[in-house]
Amino acid sequence: MIQTRALVKRYGTFTAVDGIDLHVRAGEIYGFLGPNGAGKTSTIMMLLGITRPTSGDVLLFGERYTSRRVHLRRRIGVVPEKHPRGVWPWMTAEDYLRFFAELFDVPRPQERIEALLKKVDLHTVRNTRIREFSRGMLQKLSFTRAILHDPDVLLLDEPISGLDPLGIQQVRDLIVSENREGRSIVISSHQLSEMERICHRVAIISRGRLLTEDTMEHLVARLFHEREIQVEVEQVPPGLAPLLEKLPSVLGCAVHENTLVITVPRQGDYRKPISEFLISRGLVPLRIQERMVSLEEAFVTITQENIGSLVNGGDRR
Amino acid sequence: MSDRTRAARIIAKKQVFEALIGPGFYVALAVGLLLGYFLVSAFARSVDSSGFNPRLHPLYDAIGRALEGAFGTAFVDGLFAEGPLPFAFAVSYLPVFLYLAVSSVFKFGLERNAGAVELVVYGPADGTSYLIACYLKDLFLSLLALVVILGFTLAAAGIFNDFAGPALFLTAVVAFFLSLALLAYGMFASMVTANAASSLALFLGIVLFFLIVLFGSFAIVGEYVRSLSTVVGNVVQWISPFYYGNLSLQANAAGDPLGLLAGLALLVCLSGAILAASHFIMQARGVRP
Amino acid sequence: MSAVRRAASVILFLEVLLPACAQAPVRMENLVYSALAFNGRTFSPTFAREASDAIYLIAGVDSFLTVRKTFVYFWPITGEWKTDTDTLDVPLEGTLEVTDGKGRTLPIVSTRYTYYNEKGEYELNWKVAQGAEADRIWARWSERLDAYQAAARDYRDKAARVGQERSSLLARIEVLRGQGKDVAALVDRLSGLRDPEPPRPPQDYVVPPAEIQEAFILNLPRGSYSLRLRNPDGSIMEGSHKTLVVHEKRRSSGIGYEVIPGDKWTRPVQSPTPSSVLYVDGSSDLYLRPYLEDEYNDLFYAKTIRNDDRGNPNLMTWERIQQVPGASIQLSANGAAVEVIREQPWFVEQLQGATLGYKIVPYDPQGGQKDQEPSLIAVRIPLDARSSVVRLSALDSAGRPLAGSERQIRVVSRPPAEAVLPLLALMPVVVLLTVIIFRSSKYKRS
Repeated sequence: MIQTRALVKRYGTFTAVDGIDLHVRAGEIYGFLGPNGAGKTSTIMMLLGITRPTSGDVLLFGERYTSRRVHLRRRIGVVPEKHPRGVWPWMTAEDYLRFFAELFDVPRPQERIEALLKKVDLHTVRNTRIREFSRGMLQKLSFTRAILHDPDVLLLDEPISGLDPLGIQQVRDLIVSENREGRSIVISSHQLSEMERICHRVAIISRGRLLTEDTMEHLVARLFHEREIQVEVEQVPPGLAPLLEKLPSVLGCAVHENTLVITVPRQGDYRKPISEFLISRGLVPLRIQERMVSLEEAFVTITQENIGSLVNGGDRR
Repeated sequence: MSDRTRAARIIAKKQVFEALIGPGFYVALAVGLLLGYFLVSAFARSVDSSGFNPRLHPLYDAIGRALEGAFGTAFVDGLFAEGPLPFAFAVSYLPVFLYLAVSSVFKFGLERNAGAVELVVYGPADGTSYLIACYLKDLFLSLLALVVILGFTLAAAGIFNDFAGPALFLTAVVAFFLSLALLAYGMFASMVTANAASSLALFLGIVLFFLIVLFGSFAIVGEYVRSLSTVVGNVVQWISPFYYGNLSLQANAAGDPLGLLAGLALLVCLSGAILAASHFIMQARGVRP
Repeated sequence: MSAVRRAASVILFLEVLLPACAQAPVRMENLVYSALAFNGRTFSPTFAREASDAIYLIAGVDSFLTVRKTFVYFWPITGEWKTDTDTLDVPLEGTLEVTDGKGRTLPIVSTRYTYYNEKGEYELNWKVAQGAEADRIWARWSERLDAYQAAARDYRDKAARVGQERSSLLARIEVLRGQGKDVAALVDRLSGLRDPEPPRPPQDYVVPPAEIQEAFILNLPRGSYSLRLRNPDGSIMEGSHKTLVVHEKRRSSGIGYEVIPGDKWTRPVQSPTPSSVLYVDGSSDLYLRPYLEDEYNDLFYAKTIRNDDRGNPNLMTWERIQQVPGASIQLSANGAAVEVIREQPWFVEQLQGATLGYKIVPYDPQGGQKDQEPSLIAVRIPLDARSSVVRLSALDSAGRPLAGSERQIRVVSRPPAEAVLPLLALMPVVVLLTVIIFRSSKYKRS
């Protein structure tokens, strides 16, 4: 759907984007991550044709994209980070959507607007001026505007920034719902926990360079060769940890109050031998849980400079 | 219709609607019409058995002295040759034009900085569509204001038995064509600068500069000031709307209709050139603040 | 001394002192170009001092320049520069060199000249004579003037003698009547006395030939030139370099009107701009006199008349040249039929008794205005407050329309309906309020 080839953007002597190759597939939710100043916004601006690349190509739907190819832009919907709240204060939600419906030449616009407002639960405030909307309502409105013309791709920039938990949930549900209808979604966000929950694939960018682009599972598997199993018991007898470490599958063991944190190799299922060992010691495992490596941990790991080069040979399809 | 012109039309429609539901346009128009009324009414009180005598009314006494001092008796005689209506019309239009130009320049800067232009450009529009839309909106409202003021002036003519002649309609036409170029400069100022306040300062500076150059070469001033203004004027006249406006008026005074049309055509060309420059600057800078 | 007397003393003292403190204008010795320049209707004198930027003359007509050393000073009361030739007036001799924009130099020597305006159908029949011709014309005029003056002296003598005889006869008649004697013969003699006919001055000229003068005579095409004076010894007179601007009319044979209101006949105004509109209040009739006019550059023409005057270089102005002889005016008013009104003489008759004012009546040389000259010759346009628009144009003596003479006279009204206008002006605010109310109700409904 969206592809970049050796995309570069320079502002004077500063290189904001340094040869990025992205590939967003049809029907996926694609997370675009990076610290502040990494080049995410510059990349997105080039994808949308707002700024011109210094070199490299942007391909949208298989076609090389330039700002003149308006028909390509019609297939993209954009939810920017900030809604321009202070301008157009006279507009109601319905005025706002009607304007964009006309701009995009949406067929049967009134029906479409009605249906979407109901979908995002804004139909009761359709004639309320948008200057009176809360942040969450504005975000939903912005989302509605973005899907008004039934685009193939949605591009969301920090979609849950500044929202309360209910708002976050609503937006997440919308994203998932739109993806189920077949839309590809590209999300640029710092909210890694949310990205982890919904993204099929993520790309991590730092200092203008793409460090990795892969599914969560593959990413974690490449970065981390170990995993942790947490076992809760009634009481941890002294001297238990060293004994556990002697087990062939156990790489390490730490004790936190009544919980054993046992480090085991990434591959294989070691819950049974650990349980059997504990039972043989007269201990009853109250809870056995594997701790998943979070995207946040992966993100931090990848963006540390001394690790970055390890993933150069990773999957960047 | 291309995507760009279609988008410009839709955006312009929204902006016209926005202007017509806000107070600024109406207040400026009312102020202009009231000024026009005062001038026409005062003229009727400045007439005695021998004709128009500015000294009979304090308003025209002040205006007459100021204009005579600045531009000479011949200028005042020519200005009021057909009566008060051309002058009253021009004065009526001035507040409306200033409001349209200033608010447009300021608003574009605000909208660009807030990201509204970028929002529209995500769709089937680009920065140039937005630029054209703003310009079309200003032109439409200028034309609307000119029509309303002309109607009001004709009503005043009927009531006071003033002559609504060629000079009045020429003033309306030249005012419109001058607006084309000056509003284009407004757009240019918005493109060149980074924020609304700078745009406004640049636009007002440009207009003031051209006015001062025209004033210096046109007014009755000392030889040194006139020489300096003439030298500067020879350089900048090619990009000054007031130069072409003055050409048109002078041609009309000399009974040269082709010269008049040429002056107006040159105003259109100047407007096009300024808008083209604005387009290229917009393309280079982008729509992001 | 009382306070009042003290104050009076101070005031008197100041009255004496202050004039003495007033500064006399500062006089500066200057090399001055004196010009007797033709301005389209007459020859008028002006001068260009050293600090002036240029001399301005009209193209294609004779103008006369002399160069002199004199004092110049600024006279603040009239705001103009003046010369003090009474104190210093040294005419400079030499050859005037006029150089055009292409570097070609025309040397001009000083020439004797006279100028005069002969009577004809039109006011202006100016002629300039140079050299021997000038001498001849001046001599002929001088002879005729001398003859007239001799005839005038002779008339005065004869009139005095007739007057003396009349007084003497009257005295004798009175004495003899008192003595009861017959005075019929004396009365016959008295009634037979005739006053001599006064001599008529020469009638050939509107402006008789001027006394012979000597000057550099310039008649140049339009353009910008430079002047300098070459002394008889071949050197250039220091300070004699000057720019000469020769300009011409842009258009000619325009028609302007002198407008004389019936209630202020001594204060006429001009209507020079073609197609201009005369706005009046309709309280008085108008007397119009059409005149021919030419269009000049405002600044150049002003400086041709007076070199230190101001004007607008970017504007043209119509300047009155001469009256249209035997003109008439064609009228149409409120769609009524065309009427032609001829120019005629009028007389201003003072009202008798305690009543102040006057009335303008047709001039009747045989009746009430015998032995009097008409006060004005004009076309009377009757007006009253009910007239709204009077359209007029001028015809020449042969009844042919004069191009550019169309005018309107509009009687300005101030009807009660005027009050509608400020209300109309506020209509945009009414529209605004309507919009606000409508949109507020829309939001309230939602």
